[in-house]
Amino acid sequence: MTATSPTLKSNLSIVLASARMRLATISRYPGQLLMDIFIPIVFAAMPILLGRATAGPDAGENFAQNTGTSNYVAYMLIGSAAFTIVTYAFWHIAYWLRWEQETGTLEALYLSPTHRVWVAGGTALYSCLRSLFSASAAFLIGSKILGVNPFEGGVGLAFLFILSGLIPIYGLALLFGALVIKVKEANALINLMQWGVSFLMGIFFPIAMFPPLLRAIALLFPPTWMTNGVRSALLGLTYFFQEWYLDLAVLWAFALIAPLLGYWVFTRAETSIRRNEGVGQF
Amino acid sequence: MVRKELILMVRYPVNFIASFGQIFLIVAILSLGGRTFSANLDNPPPIGAPPTSGNPSGVVIYGFILFMFLSDTLWTIGYNVRHEQVQGTLEQLYLSPASKFASLVSRVANILLWTGLLTLAASGLMVLMIGRLPVENPWLGLYLLVMSLAGTFGIGFAFAALTLRIRETAQTMANLLQFVFLILCANFFPFSALPPVLLRISRLIPLSYSVDAFRSTLMNYPPGYPELAPISVEIVIVTLFGIGMPFLGYYLYRRAEDHARRSGSLSSF
Repeated sequence: MTATSPTLKSNLSIVLASARMRLATISRYPGQLLMDIFIPIVFAAMPILLGRATAGPDAGENFAQNTGTSNYVAYMLIGSAAFTIVTYAFWHIAYWLRWEQETGTLEALYLSPTHRVWVAGGTALYSCLRSLFSASAAFLIGSKILGVNPFEGGVGLAFLFILSGLIPIYGLALLFGALVIKVKEANALINLMQWGVSFLMGIFFPIAMFPPLLRAIALLFPPTWMTNGVRSALLGLTYFFQEWYLDLAVLWAFALIAPLLGYWVFTRAETSIRRNEGVGQF
Repeated sequence: MVRKELILMVRYPVNFIASFGQIFLIVAILSLGGRTFSANLDNPPPIGAPPTSGNPSGVVIYGFILFMFLSDTLWTIGYNVRHEQVQGTLEQLYLSPASKFASLVSRVANILLWTGLLTLAASGLMVLMIGRLPVENPWLGLYLLVMSLAGTFGIGFAFAALTLRIRETAQTMANLLQFVFLILCANFFPFSALPPVLLRISRLIPLSYSVDAFRSTLMNYPPGYPELAPISVEIVIVTLFGIGMPFLGYYLYRRAEDHARRSGSLSSF
C-alpha cells in the first residue's frame, strides 16, 4: 500500500476544520469576546484622557501640530485596534505552539500525515477573524463612546491596508513561534514582543518622534506601515512615500518576504529541536 | 514558601528580563502618547531638566508604580490560587501541616521583591529617557506607598477568595478588574480627565485616594493636586485602607476557603 500526498482540497479542509474548532471553543466564552472589545477602548482612553488633562482645550490643536490631525480620538483608537491585530497574531500563533507543547499534543501533530503549516494556517485564519472582529468592534464602539465619526476618509483603502498587513504580521508571528519553541518561556517573550512591536509601530504617536536609528528600525516592521496606512487613509495624514500605492507596495513586498522568512526560520528551529530534545519536551 | 517562590523566580531569567523590558515599553508608549499633546514637541526641555507642574511623566510613572503592584497582586496572589488548583497542589497544601496564612503571605514577598525590582529599574530607565522626576516629601511618599501596598495586598486576598468561588472565570475577572481599576483609579492620567459619572465612582474606591495622595505628595502638590480631597483627609483614608483591607481580605479568603472545603470544591476545577 503506498501513501499518497494530501490534495490541496484536503489540506484546505484541515485549515477550515482547525479554524472552526477554535471558533467553536471561543464562542463558549462570550465574556472573553466582550473583553476583547473592551480592552482596546480602555487602552486608547489612557493617552486620550492624559492628553485632555494636560493640554486642556488646546489638546486638538497641539495634537494637530505634532501629528497632522486634530482627531486624536480616532488616531489613538486606530493605534489601539492595530495593537489588537498584532497582539492576537503573536499570542495565537506563537502561544498556540507552546500550548500544544505543554498539553502534549505537539508531538502527536508531528506524527500525523498532515503538515503543520496547514494546522497553523487554520489557527491563523481563526486569529485573523477574531482580531478583525475585535479591532473593528472596538474602533466602532470606541468612536461612538468618545464621540467621533468612524467613517471619515477612505474606509475601503484603510481596510486594504489592514488586509495587506495581516500576511506579513502572521509571517513575523511564525518567526517568533520559532523562538518560543526554542526558548520555551512563551508568556514573557510574547508579552515583550507585543509591546516592542507596538512601540516601534507608533501605536499612540508618530514614529517621526523617534531618533533616526530607531525610526529606521521601526520602518523595517510591517505593522508600522499598516498602522500609518490606515491612519493616512482615514485621517488624511501623509503616507511615508507620499502616495498610498507606494506604501501599499511596501506592505506587499513584506507580504512576500515575511512569510517565507518566518517559514524558513521555523523549519530550521523545529529541525534542530527534533534532532535534539524533541518537540514533546518543555 | 517564600524560598520556593524565589527559586521558581530565579529559574526563569528570561521571564524577569522580559517583564522588565515590557514595563519600560508600556511606560514609554504612554509617555510618548502623552507628549503628542505637548505644545513644544519640537523644542523639548533638555534631558535632566527639572520638571514642570504640568509634566505628565510624574503622573504616569507614579500611577504606574501603583498599577504594577495592583496588577501583580491580582495575578500573583489571586490568580495563583487558581493555578495551584489547576495543577492539583492546592488540596495537598491543605493536607500538609503548613500554615495556610503563610502560604498566602509568601506570595506577597514574591511581589514585593519582583515587582519592586521591576519598578526601580523601570523608573530609573524612564528618568534617563524623559528627564528627572519630582521626588519631594520622600518619607511621606514612602508611608503612603507602604499603606497603599498593604491595602492592595488585601484586595489580592479578597480576589483569591473570589477565585475559589468563580474558578475558571477568574482569569477574565482579573483582566476586567485590572482595566476597571486602571480607569477608575486614574493611574495614567489626572482624575480631572474622568467624566463626572466615573469620577463619582472613583471617589468611592480607597485605592483612588492612594494613587492621588502618593503622586501628589511626590510631586509636591502642584496646583490642582491632590484632586479628590485635601491631603490630610487622603492620608487618613489611605491609612485606614492599609490597615483594614488586609484583615477584610483575609477574612473573606478564610470564608471562601471554608466553603470550598465543606463543598469539596477545593480540588475541582
